[in-house]
Amino acid sequence: MDRLDIARPGWAGRIHLRYGANMGRTRLETARHEGPLRIQKALYPEGPEVCQHILLHPPGGLVAGDSLDIDVELGRHARVQLTTPGAGKWYRGDGRMARQSLRCRVHAGAVLEWLPQESILFEGASAELEVRVELDDDAIFFGWDMLCLGRRGAGEAFRHGVVRISTEVERGGRCLWWERGRIEGGGSQLDAPAVLAGQPVCASFLCVAEAVDRLDTAWLADCRRLRPAVGEGAMTRLPGLIVARYLGTDARAAHAYFVSLWQRLRPAVAGREALLPRIWAT
Amino acid sequence: MSDALALMQLLRLASPALPVGAFAYSQGLEWQVETGAVRDRDSAGRWLEGVLRHALGRCEAPLLHALITAWKLGDQDRVAALNARFLASRESGELRAETVQMGASCRRWLLRLPAVERRFVDALSACAEPAYPTAWSCAAVAFAIPASDARLGYLWSWLENQVLAAVKLVPMGQSEGQDLLARLMPLVAEVADAAATIGDDEWSNFAPAFAIASARHEGQYSRLFRS
Repeated sequence: MDRLDIARPGWAGRIHLRYGANMGRTRLETARHEGPLRIQKALYPEGPEVCQHILLHPPGGLVAGDSLDIDVELGRHARVQLTTPGAGKWYRGDGRMARQSLRCRVHAGAVLEWLPQESILFEGASAELEVRVELDDDAIFFGWDMLCLGRRGAGEAFRHGVVRISTEVERGGRCLWWERGRIEGGGSQLDAPAVLAGQPVCASFLCVAEAVDRLDTAWLADCRRLRPAVGEGAMTRLPGLIVARYLGTDARAAHAYFVSLWQRLRPAVAGREALLPRIWAT
Repeated sequence: MSDALALMQLLRLASPALPVGAFAYSQGLEWQVETGAVRDRDSAGRWLEGVLRHALGRCEAPLLHALITAWKLGDQDRVAALNARFLASRESGELRAETVQMGASCRRWLLRLPAVERRFVDALSACAEPAYPTAWSCAAVAFAIPASDARLGYLWSWLENQVLAAVKLVPMGQSEGQDLLARLMPLVAEVADAAATIGDDEWSNFAPAFAIASARHEGQYSRLFRS
């Protein structure tokens, strides 16, 4: 199914999650949800310090007028990992935008990981993806997003539709990272060598931590040498954050590349080995 | 100030002789040459066209315009907010370091000039880490250069610098460099014009291949340029 009834009103899903840490255990303290967006039972694969939640959107995709609002707050020293069970789909619509907004507030000493699976934008989708992260002093954020423009398996290119992206990260009210984009289906950005260079998969990974500034340059040079198996990737260090990007044809290669960086960076800046969520293997 | 003086001030600000060290930066072009993606005049032209249209055109140029307006109004909070956003929009460590170094040099140069109005001197001195467009736009307003000319001058000096880098790196002849300038001039004019009409909420710096080229350049083994 790649087209839903255009007369259908938009479907709004909202979830608000608030976590707190007490005696070394992270617990979900508040959870409110409306519409088709919920979480599974909390998992603790690493022990009580880190709470893992799988965010479910049972319809499995968004179409014109739909919206998902995800609002996450971590109290002091809470450690939370959020992921999704499968690719998010953005169906072809009638021109109305479908929207996903992630807002995170991470208090002192807390660590949030936002590690969703890829977003697949069907040809003709109108999508808006918004991420806003607010960090206190020594809070840490790891996050990625992976966009697939058109269903390549179905031989589809992104000739129609539009994708708007907006990512902002602040620490203590100071903006550390700001990215905005508007990709027009069939537009010149798709082939411009400086923009998407004809590649359908475009992804970015952020590691935001004060400790990034203190990482040894030689150690970072090793991270820089990691490459995706297919496509092009690179990482760079900016004040207070590391950014890696992928551009290519294969969302799995992007994911594996980001995982390899995350596995090195997580112990270095957040003091814990990275354990792959089991749900990724299914 | 007469028009002739304003024009000369613009030529001076847009000149490669402005002591800000622009010649040291290729903005990822050196990496594109290393990979062979840019190998002649035409491929250099396609690369520059994309950077100009999609990165500068929808972020740096409208931001420069907003800075000019803010300096004219004496709105120092707005200047600070735009400066912070520009720094946060830099795609790589090198690109950020570039704008911070050029901004500091441009400020040093401006503050040393006689007859710059006190309010500009004070406001620019108060700026913690002025990015290049922040310091440059302050000079343009202090020199009473009309906003449309300032936008054109800023983008022109960017283009000229990139073409000089391409001539050195590809390498190609001076006349091919001149062809490249001629080819991209209409786009510079278009982007400079449009910059005045693009509102804050439409700004876009999305250029992942440009960002990757710059990040890869940071690890490039042998290089002439600092970005």
